[in-house]
Amino acid sequence: MTPPSEPPPSGFARFRVKLLVAMMLVVSLVTAVVLFFAQRNVSASVQRELERAFEGDLSSLHAAEEIRYAMLAERCRALARRPRIHAALEDGALDLLYPTARDELADVMDPGDQGTDAGPYAFHARFYRFLDGAGRVLSPPDPQMAGRLSPVEEAQLTLPAVPDRLQIGYLLQEPPGGPRVVDEVIAMPIVSTETGEVIAALVLGFKPFEAGGKYSPVGLKSGLWVQGRLLLPALDPAVEAALGRRVGEAMAAARALETSFTVNVGPTPSLLFCRQLNPTSRFPPAFEVCIYPLTEALARERRLSWQFVSAGGLLLLAAFAASHVFSRRLSRPVEKLAVDSAENHAQRQRAEAALELTNQELQRSARFSADASHQLKTPVTVLRAGLEELLAGERLAPDAREEIETLVHQTFRLTSVIEDLLLLSRMDAGRLQIAFERVDLTALLEAFLDDLGALPDGPDLAVETDIPTGLVIAGEKRYTGLILQNLLENARKYNRPGGRIRVTARADDGWCVLTVGNSGHPIPAEAREQIFERFHRGTMGENVPGHGLGLNLARELARLHGGDLRLSRSDEAWTEFEVRFRLALAAAPLA
Amino acid sequence: MKSCPALAVLSALLLGPGLGRADTAVEGIVTLPRTHAAPVMNQRYEIITEGGILSTNPPLAVVYLEGTFPPAGDPPVQQVAQKDFAFLPALLPVQVGTRVAFPNLDNTYHNIFSYSPAKRFDLGRYRSDERPIPEQQFDTPGLVVLRCDIHEHMRGLILVLDTPHFVVTDAAGHYRLGRLPAGHYTLKAWLTSRTTLERPVDLRDGATLHVDFP
Repeated sequence: MTPPSEPPPSGFARFRVKLLVAMMLVVSLVTAVVLFFAQRNVSASVQRELERAFEGDLSSLHAAEEIRYAMLAERCRALARRPRIHAALEDGALDLLYPTARDELADVMDPGDQGTDAGPYAFHARFYRFLDGAGRVLSPPDPQMAGRLSPVEEAQLTLPAVPDRLQIGYLLQEPPGGPRVVDEVIAMPIVSTETGEVIAALVLGFKPFEAGGKYSPVGLKSGLWVQGRLLLPALDPAVEAALGRRVGEAMAAARALETSFTVNVGPTPSLLFCRQLNPTSRFPPAFEVCIYPLTEALARERRLSWQFVSAGGLLLLAAFAASHVFSRRLSRPVEKLAVDSAENHAQRQRAEAALELTNQELQRSARFSADASHQLKTPVTVLRAGLEELLAGERLAPDAREEIETLVHQTFRLTSVIEDLLLLSRMDAGRLQIAFERVDLTALLEAFLDDLGALPDGPDLAVETDIPTGLVIAGEKRYTGLILQNLLENARKYNRPGGRIRVTARADDGWCVLTVGNSGHPIPAEAREQIFERFHRGTMGENVPGHGLGLNLARELARLHGGDLRLSRSDEAWTEFEVRFRLALAAAPLA
Repeated sequence: MKSCPALAVLSALLLGPGLGRADTAVEGIVTLPRTHAAPVMNQRYEIITEGGILSTNPPLAVVYLEGTFPPAGDPPVQQVAQKDFAFLPALLPVQVGTRVAFPNLDNTYHNIFSYSPAKRFDLGRYRSDERPIPEQQFDTPGLVVLRCDIHEHMRGLILVLDTPHFVVTDAAGHYRLGRLPAGHYTLKAWLTSRTTLERPVDLRDGATLHVDFP
């Protein structure tokens, strides 16, 4: 664990802030997206609901209207079938037409004057007229009898021909000084029961259906657009006129039986629905105009929007708090990791520094040995030259000569040591590399064995070999030779007088295993590893020449060759070293 | 035509009583329009209209002698009943001045009225127990279309004629007009509201003239 005294690294604080910011960003983004879609959804559903409410209102209105139309039509049809009216028309009694009709239509006509209001479903006619077979109005003898109409208004009832089906029209009346009134006009053909032909038509004017505010739960207002004029009594006259122009334009542009659009009615945005009421009629077209104020819907939408925004804000706040907590919790292991990592880093730096130091020291010591060797070689050579010069002199006493010869011999030994040291120092510094080539181990061994036999001062030794011909290994001939030379020399030096040397070699699964055995003194068990250390010499006494570097050098070189050198056996009768080389591949030259 | 009837009346007054036994008559066949209707059962006729022309179905014709005849007192009261939602008879020729009673033989209300120029009247609603039986006097010659205000399909015809000499043909079109005064007259056959055929006839005392229409 991190000790509390140790503050977390500054990078870690930055990490935590970054994590927090990233989480907040993600949370904000997610919230924004969710809010956006939810808002859109809600907005769409509000719109749908509005349309449904509007359509529901409209359809209930239309249903009521249709029922009313059906009832009016049925009444008109019943009236048009009255035998007396038929009799008046068919039996040439037009003078009796209106008097008869007054009786027949007494229950249809509005009992009071125009003032009485029998409600929105009033089925009372305000006037009636008959059209003759050509569609002209048959004027009543007394206008009071059939509901008062001015001549202009009466003329509007004239049709181009007598209709063969029920026709619906709207008659705009503008009495001077009075309010404008629209009457719904139903023209019902009177079919002769005698001929089956349309002989006349009964035209009845009804007070139009009103869908005023009190009948509509959502404030649907309906009016009529007749002859370029809008009649929507619920509206202010100026607004009414402006809206009428707007409806006229829209209908001219739409060229459809119905259209709807959003429009500002005064200050109130409203949905306006417009529908031709008498699409197949021969009367001038009239349109039903329904206005649905959007105020409430818009307010509701606004309210919903605010709710959404505030809910989103709260959500965002909560999410921020949560992300803060989470970022802290999440960053805790990272913090630990970061601290650990910092420690690791420090440790590694220390280790690297130590390694560097060691390496430098090693390099220095290697360079030192190399330098020392070089520095030593020269004086030794000079020394030997001087000694040999002395030996060449004639005046030396035999004692002195022997002494000097010993000295010369020592210089050779010194040179050998120096060379070995030089080689070792190069190896230690890692500067020695084997330039691998194909080395004919058999030939090399035979040459060395020949040399061994030719040595003058050797003890009387028997040499046995078991070497197959044509053993080719991967190595550099010079260093391979050094290994062999060292091993053979050791076998000779540490042998008993009259002892044996046995050299065997064999190929074994890509390796060449070479053993050099001798019948020397056994190496004590505790010294078996030490014999490969530098300047180690066996306990066999100082009389044996050598400087304790040979085995070390041989092992290092064998390892550089990719092989190894080990002591494979050492007992009273026999001491044997085993060295392994890699066999050279048959044909390919070695890298 | 004014002077000619005067002469006929004169001759009728002078000659009539003396020739009482010998019947002066006109008989013949009115070729009635073909009809696709089924054979008449129970003498039920109905008034039909085709192209605004009223006639009976199956077709019947009224043959009458037109001229100036001396008044012969009040003609007897005729009757057009309403039975089974139809007028019975469907076609009734009457002399001017005839009173026609309209008994209701159905078990429901009827309301007989007419807007015809020849006679406008409205009997109002009444049932079969209405007493006295409503009557109307027909003083103007012409065709009177009877309607019922309650049953719009009901039609009846009363042909008001300015002559006492008229007869309804049988279903085959045969007719016979007897007890006629001798003289020069116009014999007419009413076929439909639009079609009335006529023939000048010279009636001789005791002779039966054969006139076919057309």
